[in-house]
Amino acid sequence: MTERAVRQLLERTPVDREVEGRAWEVVRAAYAAREPVPRRPRLRLAVGVALAGAALAAAVLSPPGRAVVDAVRRSVGLEHAQPALFRLPAPGRLLVSGPGGAWLVAGDGSMRRLGAYRQAAWSPHGLFVVGATGDELTALDPSGRIHWQLARPGVRFPRWGGSLTDTRVAYLSGGRLHVVAGDGTGDARACGEPAAGRVAPAWRPGPRHVLAFVTARGRVTVLDTDTCTLLWRSAPYAPRPRLMTWSPDGSRLAVATAGGLWLVDGRTGAALGVSMPGIRALGYARDGRLAAIRRRSLVLVEPDGRTRTLFAGPAPLAGLAWSPNGRWLLTSMPAADQWVFVGAHRVLPVSNIRTQFGGPASLDGWAPGA
Amino acid sequence: MEAIGRTEHNELERNERAWVRAAQRGDARAMEQLFRRHWAHAHRAALLVVGDAAAAEDIAQEAFLAAVRALDRFDRQRPFGPWLHRIVVNRAIDWSRARAVRRELAHDEAGEPFVHERGEAGHARELAHALSELGPGQRAVIVLRYLLEYTPGEIAELLDLPRGTVNSRLRRGLDRLEEALREELR
Repeated sequence: MTERAVRQLLERTPVDREVEGRAWEVVRAAYAAREPVPRRPRLRLAVGVALAGAALAAAVLSPPGRAVVDAVRRSVGLEHAQPALFRLPAPGRLLVSGPGGAWLVAGDGSMRRLGAYRQAAWSPHGLFVVGATGDELTALDPSGRIHWQLARPGVRFPRWGGSLTDTRVAYLSGGRLHVVAGDGTGDARACGEPAAGRVAPAWRPGPRHVLAFVTARGRVTVLDTDTCTLLWRSAPYAPRPRLMTWSPDGSRLAVATAGGLWLVDGRTGAALGVSMPGIRALGYARDGRLAAIRRRSLVLVEPDGRTRTLFAGPAPLAGLAWSPNGRWLLTSMPAADQWVFVGAHRVLPVSNIRTQFGGPASLDGWAPGA
Repeated sequence: MEAIGRTEHNELERNERAWVRAAQRGDARAMEQLFRRHWAHAHRAALLVVGDAAAAEDIAQEAFLAAVRALDRFDRQRPFGPWLHRIVVNRAIDWSRARAVRRELAHDEAGEPFVHERGEAGHARELAHALSELGPGQRAVIVLRYLLEYTPGEIAELLDLPRGTVNSRLRRGLDRLEEALREELR
C-alpha cells in the first residue's frame, strides 16, 4: 500500500462537524475563566526575585533549610498541636485524597491507603468509595477491594448518590458530565446536557436520582437523570459557581461563587444571596446546619443568611467535613500543615499532615461506621 | 512548488506565534484562531487512534483545555501544533491501552461509533477498521506520520521512542494495513 494512499484515506476519515462547535464552547469558557499571569517584572526586580527564589529553594532543599520551613509552618499554625493524628474526636471514618492518594482514617486513627486516587467520594451510606485518577474511575470498598473500573479521559469530581439499593455515580470526563450506575453499568453522558463547568456535581439526597451540576456557561442545572427531565436551570451566575451542596432533606442547594453564597430553593431554583466572598468549602451537617470556610474563618450560615463565626485561624483554611454526629467540624490549614478539629468547646489541631498522607490531603467526607 | 510551500509554512508559523502571544495577553479571537487551526487534525488524530467518537471528542477537547491552562507558561519560540499533538496522541494511546486491559462493560460497545458514510468515505471507513486491528502505539505512529505529517525523527521525539522503533512500526503498520484492506475489500 502506498504512503500516498494512506495519507488520502486518513484525511477522508469522517468526523462529526458539530463536535467542533461544542468543543469550542467549552474551550472558550475555560479561556474566559482563566486568570492571566501578571506580566514579567523588569530585569532588576527579576534578578532580585530570582536570587531570593534561589535562596529559598536552597533552604527548602537542604535539611537545615527544611527545618526552617517547618519552623515557619509551626509558627503559622496553632500551638499545642498533636504531632500526628492519633484518633478522631468523634466516631466515624474519614476519607481524604490528594497527590499522595486516597486514604481512609478510622476512628482509632489507623490509616489505610486505598490507592493513587487524587479525588475520592463516599457512596451515600459509606459502604463504598469512588476514586478518580486522571483517566480512570474506580469503585472500591473500604478494604480497598476494587469492584469495577472505567477508563475515561480526564476523570474529575466523582460523586456517588442514590438509595441503599439503587445508586448512581456522576463525574466529569473531558468537560462532559457522565452518569454510571453504582454497579458500573450504563455509563453515559448525562441526558445530552451541555458541557459542564469545573465544579463537582451534587446528588440531591433521596431515592430519585436528581443531580445538580454547573454548565460551562455557569448555569446551575438540576435534572432527573433517570427520566432525563430538566427540573430547572438557572440563569448564568457571574462570577461562576465554584461549589455546590444539597441540604440533607433536599430542599435547598447551597451554591458558592467568588462573590458570595446563594441559598437556592431546590424545587424552583429561586435564590437568596448572601454577601460572603471568598468561600472555599461548604458542607451541611446531617441535622441541616450549613457551615462554610471563608478565608481564615469557619462560619455557620443560618437559613436566613445570617452567619456566626465558629473558629478563626491564623492562616487561610481549606476543606470542611462534619462528623457524622454533628458535634465536630474538621478543616485544614495548609500553610501550617495542620488539620483543625473544631468542637463546641474545644479546638484540636493536628500537625504534619503532609508527612502522614504523602502530600496535602483534601477532606472528602466523614462517614458513619467503625 | 516546494519553495512556495515552505513560504506558506513559515507564514503560518509566524501567524501562530502571533496568535499565541495575543492569546496570552487575553485576546479571545486569537485563542479561537488557534483552536480553529488545530481542532480538525487533533480530533481526527484522536479518533483514528481510539476508534471511539465520544472518547476522541473528549480527548481532543481535554488537550485544548490543557493548552488553555498552560498558555501562560507556553514558550512562544516553540510551535504550538507539536505540543498539542503530543498531548492528544499520548492521551489517545493511554485511553486505548486502558480500555484493552481493563474490564469494559457491554454498554461501552454501544458508544458512538465512527460516522460511517457510503461512497468515497467507504474506503476511509475500511482504513479506520483496518487501523483498529493495529496496536495503539502503531496506530499513533501511522497517524502522526501520514495525517499530521511528522517525520520519523519528530515522531520519535513526540512519543519518546527510539527512531528505529518508529521506522519499524511504520513499515510493519503499512504492511498490515495493506493486508487488512485487501481482506476487507475482497
